[in-house]
Amino acid sequence: MTKSLSKPLTLGVLLLPPAIVYAGLVIWPMIQAIIFSLYRWNGLGPLQQIVGLGNFSKIVGDEVFRGALSHNLIIIALSLGLQLPISLGLALLVNQKLAGRSVFRTIFFMPFVLSEVITGLIWSFIYLPDGGLINTLGGQLFGMSKVAWLGNISTVLLAIWVVLGWKYFGYHLVLYLTGLQNIPQELHEAALVDGATNGQVIRHITLPLLGPTVRLTIYLAVLGSLQVFDLVWVMTTGGPVNASDTMATYLYRFGFQRFQLGYGSAVALIMFILCFGFSLIYQRYVMRRDLAL
Amino acid sequence: MNRKFKISTASIAVAATILAACATPPAPGAAPAAPAAPAATTAPAAAAATEAPKATEAPAAASTGAVKITWWHINTQDNGKKAFQAVADEFMKAHPNVKIEITVIENEAFKAKLATNMQSGNPPDIFQSWGGGVLGQYAKAGLVQDLTDAFKVDNFADTIQPGPLGLYTINGKIYGVPWNAGMIGFWYRKDMFKKAGIAEPPATWNDLLVDVKKLKDAKITPIALGEKDKWPGHFYWVYAAVRLGGKAAFDAAYSRQGKFSDAPFVKAGEEIKKLIDLQPFQEGFLGAAYGDHIAAMANGKAAMELMGHWAYGADSGSAKDQALKDYQDNIGWFPFPTMDGMVGDPGDALGGGDGFAIGKNAPPEAIDFVKFFLSKEHQTQMAKAGIAVPPTVKGAEAGLDNPLLKEIQKRAGAAKYFQLYYDQYLPPAVGSLVNDETQKLFAGTTTPEKLAAAIEDAAATELKP
Amino acid sequence: MTKDPQYTPAIRLALTPAITAVLRHAIALLTALVVLIPIAMTVVGGFKTTGDLYVAPLSLPAEWQFAHYTDILAGEAFWRLLRNSLVITLATAVCVVALASMPAFAFSRMQFRGREVLFNFFTLGLIFPASVAILPLYITIRQLGLVDSHLGVILPQVAFGLPGNILVLRSFFSAIPKEIEDAASIDGCSTLGFFWRILLPLVRPALAAVAVLTMVGSWNAFFLPLLVLNSEQLWPLPLGIMQFQGQFGTDWAKVLAFVSLALIPTIIFYLLAERQIISGLTSGAVKG
Repeated sequence: MTKSLSKPLTLGVLLLPPAIVYAGLVIWPMIQAIIFSLYRWNGLGPLQQIVGLGNFSKIVGDEVFRGALSHNLIIIALSLGLQLPISLGLALLVNQKLAGRSVFRTIFFMPFVLSEVITGLIWSFIYLPDGGLINTLGGQLFGMSKVAWLGNISTVLLAIWVVLGWKYFGYHLVLYLTGLQNIPQELHEAALVDGATNGQVIRHITLPLLGPTVRLTIYLAVLGSLQVFDLVWVMTTGGPVNASDTMATYLYRFGFQRFQLGYGSAVALIMFILCFGFSLIYQRYVMRRDLAL
Repeated sequence: MNRKFKISTASIAVAATILAACATPPAPGAAPAAPAAPAATTAPAAAAATEAPKATEAPAAASTGAVKITWWHINTQDNGKKAFQAVADEFMKAHPNVKIEITVIENEAFKAKLATNMQSGNPPDIFQSWGGGVLGQYAKAGLVQDLTDAFKVDNFADTIQPGPLGLYTINGKIYGVPWNAGMIGFWYRKDMFKKAGIAEPPATWNDLLVDVKKLKDAKITPIALGEKDKWPGHFYWVYAAVRLGGKAAFDAAYSRQGKFSDAPFVKAGEEIKKLIDLQPFQEGFLGAAYGDHIAAMANGKAAMELMGHWAYGADSGSAKDQALKDYQDNIGWFPFPTMDGMVGDPGDALGGGDGFAIGKNAPPEAIDFVKFFLSKEHQTQMAKAGIAVPPTVKGAEAGLDNPLLKEIQKRAGAAKYFQLYYDQYLPPAVGSLVNDETQKLFAGTTTPEKLAAAIEDAAATELKP
Repeated sequence: MTKDPQYTPAIRLALTPAITAVLRHAIALLTALVVLIPIAMTVVGGFKTTGDLYVAPLSLPAEWQFAHYTDILAGEAFWRLLRNSLVITLATAVCVVALASMPAFAFSRMQFRGREVLFNFFTLGLIFPASVAILPLYITIRQLGLVDSHLGVILPQVAFGLPGNILVLRSFFSAIPKEIEDAASIDGCSTLGFFWRILLPLVRPALAAVAVLTMVGSWNAFFLPLLVLNSEQLWPLPLGIMQFQGQFGTDWAKVLAFVSLALIPTIIFYLLAERQIISGLTSGAVKG
């Protein structure tokens, strides 16, 4: 008989080491940042000017911030409505009989492997008004006139979302693929033998069984969309004139660059509350059954 | 060995977290006031030696004993990087007990890294500084050393051009020193002007507007502008304010005896709007970074740019073969034109440059090194090598080969009113806002009045008298 | 005369799979193109001069500048940066897999009081922007004496990687059927023993996925290493890009060459991990 540890001890072994690292390097700085948000502080010298909720009311009253929030919401909508379904569709596609399937899989994952900075750089070249790929192809194939994708207030957010989608569809694809591996082949085969079409198999067997994975990717996509920063910053720094600002770029500009750390921390806290609220609700009502044993 | 190291650090992490959780959260202000404290608790335990504790121990010692100086600069380009290392090596050879550790960081990354280090109360010993408001904030927080007395020795301060040195002087005290400084002006292509039928560069603002129309008629993009980065555009508005309001208006607004919404600042916006309405910039300029702007000039896609003394080097660096030759053969320079109703002197300049500041923990040898770096010989060499262009040490301009840079240096030295770019001079909260708001003027989403009012609002909050 | 029923279904069966197969391949190819063209532009861009890049970003280089690639490979800087990146990334990945799978197991397969609360505690980090916590984080790192050391980069990366990966792993762990666990305990296996000897091998695809995703994130990390590491000797690859960037203008062509070279290890990571993910297909929990 193997000696087994008591339950509390087992839990201790499993939970304590990660908890310590996490508490010290994530939670503790977070708490400090929350404290900063109550102050007006340029980061140098001691915390002196406490403003309580003053930062928060200023943020909520700032139309630039409200604009940034709306941009985050638009990105969420586009991700959930377009990017995730495309990833799912491609995952199903790649999971079936396809010549060179593993090659395709590797290729689809590659954009994720690039850093956001480099992705932003490459796509800045693609979006160049004069000589960029999009305008050149558009002109030659469709007779389109030149559009300044990143310099035009009405196109910039969409242009950025395309790059986001390009970069991350592979990530969701990998998650879906991993989930698909967990679905036993016999179920598919049994259904096909029973006369179901491919489409029916997907709709009634694959997708439901993929449910937990799908719900997970939605969760990650929403949280990721709420925090998107690097890509937007590199391509437009939130501009022109705040047209592509996200809450995170707003935080960086108005918080860091202006040496207003208290204000920046307050923005972060607002972002946190939004994410936390979503997380709480989503887990309780959507993901609950995925975790019941 | 590795595992033991990991374990010991993990136990430190545990201890630190428990201690941190129990103790009242230390106000970050505690860090700058007592830098020795954290060093003492961790130095014995940590296997990894860190620079910070060593630096705090240094200041007490005079020139005896080993001295370590950390130097952060942003000259990532090979020739600059090598030249700086060479000067450091020379100094170390002459002072064997001194070790200078150089970290070379790219401009934007440097600003981020420096900010965090400053905020944690831990400045490097010697570091890149542009002077103005940011340096002022560091000085106010006691993070940089007052160099006034040290510069009185050997009359060192007199060897530097007064205009540029003034950019690093705050409330009469010197907190840094520039090693290059120049002024903003219009770089223009003589061949394109000729093609558009423009005989001479414009002397007045209205002449400039007329010339822009001529260039457009000749199907040449008049002006290159990388307004995504915002600071290139803010030059226009600030220069107009320099012309129309002169030193008086700015000083008044800055000291809060006047306002940034006073007439000269509004008029500045109106004049610039006249230019913007002519649509003189390249396609998609609102989304163009300064790099794209450089490319436009380098490849002959635009006739002129309002840019600083570095433009020649930057543009040439991006041009290829024939384009490079065309650029170098045809590039000229003219100062920002005069404006009707201007109060300032035509020679007033908007400009700035690169310099050094000394961190509060730095040993006296750091100041010695900076003086060594700024010797006339070194500066003349660097001017010749195209690194310190234009140089700030009097007499070093003899090393300048480029006649355009010589002219810039002369004018900058002679300017009665030398204004540092607003986005550097004003504290970051205001300076950054100037950039944001002027970009709106270029995008047509604000008016000259609103622009001036927005800046005034920020200034009123940030610039307490 | 009735139509022969045999023909219509036969034609239908013959056409549909063929058409869908062609469609599938077409879509896959199109997507692959959309993915590859920007990456190809990166690699090819490294062969141009920066001037060329702006003037003719799409065409092949006027003159192939092999020097960009060869200079980087010949210099010792690139290999040092690569070594540092490998150390940091591998250490981060190993620690994340270890430190995330443990709580994930507890949260997915063990019942205990306060489980949900603790789980939410762990996922808090996922929803707080790390960039804001950077100043207090930096102060903490400094207090631990970890400034200018690789550990000062590895530990925070692990810490911030825990929430998301605990979440992902918990999801996969809970899919393992209870019967296996019950069988193991009947055989006298302790909880930890089940975790270590049975569960982990079963979920190797998920662990591999976590490892590769963590490695990619760590490989591209720029800001944290920038802050923590002062000596160039310790810098990982992303910081190496700075050598091509001046205060006024970046040598983009060299940056692209550098980045293309830095891509290669990441792709190798992925290829290696991918095998693990696929091998889970054949082994693994079989329902019934």
